[in-house]
Amino acid sequence: MGPSGIGKTTLLKLIGGQLRPDSGRVLVGGLDFQRLSRKQLFDARAKMGMLFQSGALFSDLTVFENIAFPLRAHTQLPDEMIRDIVVMKLNAVGLRGARNLMPSELSGGMTRRVALARTIALDPDLIMYDEPFAGQDPIAMGVLVQLIRLLNDALGLTSVLVSHDISEALSICDHAIIIADGRVIGAGAPSELKAMDSPLVNQFINGLPDGPVPFHFPAGDYAQDLLTNR
Amino acid sequence: MIDFIRRSGRSGLDFCAAVGRASIFLLRAIVGLSLSGKGLKLLARQIYRVGVLSLIIIIVSGLFIGMVLGLQGYSILVDYGSEQAVGQMVALTLVRELGPVVTALLFAGRAGSALTAEIGLMKATEQLSSMEMMGVDPLKRVIAPRFWAGFISMPILAAIFSMVGIFGGMLISVDWLGVYDGAFWSNMQKAVEFNNDVINGMIKAVVFGWVCTWIAVFQGYDLVPTSEGISAATTKTVVYSSLSVLGLDFLLTAVMFGGI
Repeated sequence: MGPSGIGKTTLLKLIGGQLRPDSGRVLVGGLDFQRLSRKQLFDARAKMGMLFQSGALFSDLTVFENIAFPLRAHTQLPDEMIRDIVVMKLNAVGLRGARNLMPSELSGGMTRRVALARTIALDPDLIMYDEPFAGQDPIAMGVLVQLIRLLNDALGLTSVLVSHDISEALSICDHAIIIADGRVIGAGAPSELKAMDSPLVNQFINGLPDGPVPFHFPAGDYAQDLLTNR
Repeated sequence: MIDFIRRSGRSGLDFCAAVGRASIFLLRAIVGLSLSGKGLKLLARQIYRVGVLSLIIIIVSGLFIGMVLGLQGYSILVDYGSEQAVGQMVALTLVRELGPVVTALLFAGRAGSALTAEIGLMKATEQLSSMEMMGVDPLKRVIAPRFWAGFISMPILAAIFSMVGIFGGMLISVDWLGVYDGAFWSNMQKAVEFNNDVINGMIKAVVFGWVCTWIAVFQGYDLVPTSEGISAATTKTVVYSSLSVLGLDFLLTAVMFGGI
């Protein structure tokens, strides 16, 4: 968790190997993504999933084909088996009945659930969620919160979730890290974070408008500013 | 002054970096084509979208350009009493120059801009990113079939353009203006050499197809993923393609027919 623009999505892209760090290393499952060849990198990515903020469904394919896409790309399974897997994944997110719709016909919450079904299609070990709750109505948000936790436990995954919806994120996570100003300012279980007496952590968790992170963008003296341009 | 030098240096460096990126990109797109059943299906789909759907504009333009050439050629040649030569004039003009060049310009406008916009929108909506994260290389899956489809379609479209154009020229000069059709065809047959004219025209079409599709897919892949970025990249595709086609046409003509 952390304020907007602090580099949370960048961090996910570093983990996924889509960006290269200027310095330092990123190890995922013991693999140094910076040292892998292009082919090895793409093979390694088949074991991780990422849920994009926009859902990023392929707009020219139906919901069914979207979920079948990674299966067809990485496996040689016969069509009947792919169909069964897709139906099962869709059922897990409650959208079995929507399999013949096009992505443009889905609501925002449904889009994200279809994207989630596509992410788990290959049974990855690690799923990264980029702001899964942003811009969702309360019902869709509740569904997503539950689904993420449920899938994590049922499939035995590691989930990395980036968010600034504090209460939702804290309600489902085992371990939370808050970053600000390019460094970790607080880490631990949700209850530990809430008990922390750092003013910065406190401001972030309680959503206070002013504090160590100032309300005002750095500027000169206010009174001076109003008077000088006379 | 220092600022000017600094700025031109920066844009020079940016240009070199873009050329480097485009070359690596091209190399990966060329080797990225998969010849498995799935890969060929993707290729066929793109050939349909890039080539077959461009047929109408190519055929209609070819017909009209051939008709205009027939009219103009007749009205000039008839003064010298050599209107029978209109067949060879129309055929040589089309096969050597107008076929490949006009087809490439139309192709850049019709198919190139569509390729750029499509790939650009896929990038802007994170579809390319999500494909990468699924372990599917977008260069192989999205770019390579499109690049090869353009590369394969262009020469065929140029050939069709020339054929339709010659037909249009014949309609006007033979059927309408009354040139003797035996002379029309036999003059054409005598003047147009397969090795010199047809092959050289095809080489041009292959080069233009290569350049136009390369520019189109690279502009789409490399653009800034915003709405302004997509519109700028689409414009760049058409402008860069047209300029490179016309410039390259001069170079190729100089080498092929200029005796250099």
